[in-house]
Amino acid sequence: MTDLLLVLVQVVFGLLVVGALCWSLAHPLNRHDLRPYQAHSDWLEAKASAERLLAEILPEHEYQQLTRRGYLEVASPGIPGRIYRVPKYRGRVHVYEYGHPVMSLCIQPVDLIPDGDVVVMHKLMIEGNESEYLRLANQFEVFPSRRQA
Amino acid sequence: MVRWDERAAAAGDPDAEEAVRQAEGLFRQERASGATAFKVGDAGPAEKIETFDPEAEQIIMVPRVAGG
Repeated sequence: MTDLLLVLVQVVFGLLVVGALCWSLAHPLNRHDLRPYQAHSDWLEAKASAERLLAEILPEHEYQQLTRRGYLEVASPGIPGRIYRVPKYRGRVHVYEYGHPVMSLCIQPVDLIPDGDVVVMHKLMIEGNESEYLRLANQFEVFPSRRQA
Repeated sequence: MVRWDERAAAAGDPDAEEAVRQAEGLFRQERASGATAFKVGDAGPAEKIETFDPEAEQIIMVPRVAGG
């Protein structure tokens, strides 16, 4: 009798898990904070639009670098020898000077926007407003071991 | 995204003029919410702008950002 009850509890628990999973898949807006987007299809359209913008404003070699290597290198307009390595997906921007890592930066949009738009944001801010970009970003030191690399 | 033909707007084409007005409205609205505007073109790197430029090849608004 106890064994039967245990099996029954396990079956009910399994059904609850499967039900919760199905509900979650059917309601994607509940999995992510997509408030600026009215529907999941809006979010998908925003992502596609961001990809089109990236392809439009990046020179061919930069777009290829981003898609193949997973990052975009943006040269500092104000600091000689400095390169900002912007990741394709969310994450810190790594800063190099004459090939050596010097720090990483964390700066992001306040509202949720697609990853492609985040890359555009970094590029435009670095090229057109570098001092403000650096002022707003949280800066992290590079570990001494990496600095030697 | 709002697009218009610069020459048509200069020639007084109502559709182009309406597009320019719409773009300027969006520009002001986004700036008021903390966005930064950049002029982008083939000529060189992006340039930050404070006022709407109807002759810009492309203007991109970057939403407010913060340190993460």
